[in-house]
Amino acid sequence: MLVVKNLVTTYGPVTALKNISLHVGEGEIVCLIGANGAGKSSLMLSIMGLVKPRAGEILFERQPIQGKDPPEIVARGISLVPEGRQIFYPLTVEENLELGAYQRFKKEPKESIFHDLEQVYQLFPRLKERRRQLAGTLSGGEQQMLAIGRAFMAKPKLLMLDEPSLGLAPRLVDTILSAIKVLNKEGLTILLVEQNARKALSLAHRGYVLETGKIILQGRAEDLLADEDVRRAYLGKDYRKFTD
Amino acid sequence: MDNKIEFLSPEAWRQWQLELLQSTLNRVYERVPFYRQLMDEKAISPEDIKELEDIKKLPFTTREHLAQNYPYGLFAVPLRDIVRLHTFPGIKTPIVKGFTNRDLKVIRKLTARFLTSCGVTSEDIVQICLDPGMSVWIEELKEGAEEVGALVIPPDPQSVENRLQIMRDFKTSVLISTPSYLQYLTQIMHKHGLASPKNLRLAILVGEGIEMSSRLELEQHLGIDTRLGYGITEAIAAGMGYECEYREGYHLASDYFYAEIIDPLTGKPLPSGERGELVITTLAVKANPLIRFRTGDLTRLYNEPCMCGRTTPRLSQIEEHIDGRVSIRGIKISLQYIEALLEEVYGHVPEYLLYVKRHTQLEELELWLAINEQLFEPSILGLHQKALAFEKRFEEIFGLPCRLKFVEKDHLHETAKGRKVIKD
Repeated sequence: MLVVKNLVTTYGPVTALKNISLHVGEGEIVCLIGANGAGKSSLMLSIMGLVKPRAGEILFERQPIQGKDPPEIVARGISLVPEGRQIFYPLTVEENLELGAYQRFKKEPKESIFHDLEQVYQLFPRLKERRRQLAGTLSGGEQQMLAIGRAFMAKPKLLMLDEPSLGLAPRLVDTILSAIKVLNKEGLTILLVEQNARKALSLAHRGYVLETGKIILQGRAEDLLADEDVRRAYLGKDYRKFTD
Repeated sequence: MDNKIEFLSPEAWRQWQLELLQSTLNRVYERVPFYRQLMDEKAISPEDIKELEDIKKLPFTTREHLAQNYPYGLFAVPLRDIVRLHTFPGIKTPIVKGFTNRDLKVIRKLTARFLTSCGVTSEDIVQICLDPGMSVWIEELKEGAEEVGALVIPPDPQSVENRLQIMRDFKTSVLISTPSYLQYLTQIMHKHGLASPKNLRLAILVGEGIEMSSRLELEQHLGIDTRLGYGITEAIAAGMGYECEYREGYHLASDYFYAEIIDPLTGKPLPSGERGELVITTLAVKANPLIRFRTGDLTRLYNEPCMCGRTTPRLSQIEEHIDGRVSIRGIKISLQYIEALLEEVYGHVPEYLLYVKRHTQLEELELWLAINEQLFEPSILGLHQKALAFEKRFEEIFGLPCRLKFVEKDHLHETAKGRKVIKD
């Protein structure tokens, strides 16, 4: 579904991504793990068109999308749940969700949008309870649910989530992750960036390990969970760099 | 057993292999000074590899490099991550190969896939009959068969009669052996007037190739099917290449290896179907990755799709070993090793001829030495003792007996006719 080949992204003189190649197959949950600054978020922003890559190819459903503008990329079926949620605080929960479907209002009958809205409420009943509440008054976990719900409202084929469990209590992390699993079971393809490597890998089918802008390891999630380097660098107490 | 990956589209394979190649190079460049130096010398960084074909920019590696970097030089993980170390004879130093826990898991899966492709199931009783010289194979096959869930009988130092009895009494359905050992078993059965084991249905033959006529003869005689497997001990023994039901060459495990065929003299890549030296790059190995490793095996690579639907390229049976290695009962013996051993025992390398006798039931090895003055000892006993010492060392190293025979120079020349190895 998504194929990235030799992607290079730079911020001025700093190279954030060096020759990244990866793919996400239809129906898969793929996770990216790596320390802060490894390039995980840059990769997502590059795919989304929010950062223009300097070189390389990004193919979505076999069509090149590198260099395209974010609205077009959303229209093709990729949604991003950005790090730090970035929901619209002064708007209500429901308004936030409707904005997620902004591009669909002109093209699709309202019923299908409301149907998806119901689906989001089913997935996160808490949001339904607070549908008239201003987003800024929600708790961290609820805000994250809203961010995921809003991305889902664009009816994506590929949902990308950047650190969905950041700053959440452990119980809420589980709620969010099991929601991701449900979405995947219903046919959504997922690319996930997650600090909590153990949780992410137990959810994902496959994973890639990024370090200083390069992919240094990949494999099936269960193999990565058992990998000595991954255990040392991302699962254990020892936070040394992978290549030290 | 999940083998969907063997049926990926060619396009998906290219992406899959490129990703694995890039991350392997990122790892070895960071972690193995030897590979970093090789790449720096050619002014190449891992980032220059943007297509699979770019692998040609990287230099070759050889068995010499493995020896030069003995003992710790080629590990791409900290030593504490290594949980198993296999050692096998090298020319000057032993060759070592380490495995992390993850490597072992990968190999188990790979070997299980090989066995499943051959038709082994959890219902089977798998008996392994291989010489101790193939210890790496034995280990991997045993674990792979366990992964499949079969009952496995690993080789113990048993007489051939005992092995046959176990085969009968435990109703072995799959035998894993070398072609020559299976021929030997057949002859023994014939000699003792034993009927073919009733339950045996499949023989998986590894370690060496076999001619079609001998293969059909064995199948007919024993009433079984046969499948061949290929591997090199330096990379992964079992599961690297294996036949499918159409038996048109070894399907390469492309999720773990990238193969090239080169002209052994010029190093230039050769097109699909042409005979040349096999060069292997491992794509998913953690402890001891190999980059463009020259195997010394002459073969052909076919990229055309196979009738079984697998999209992995196929290798033909190994036609020859170009680096002076001889395959005896599946064990690879290099003439360089023999010369080093002669040097060690006799202080020089006399003219010699390695005589592989095939007319006996099992391949037997004789090393003929042309008599010269340096070989002589003051007493016959001394001469005898030295010869014994050589034979003992030989067996220690290769796990195979070899008889030393002193012959007249002229006789050796007449028999050898310029060759160093004769298989008769």
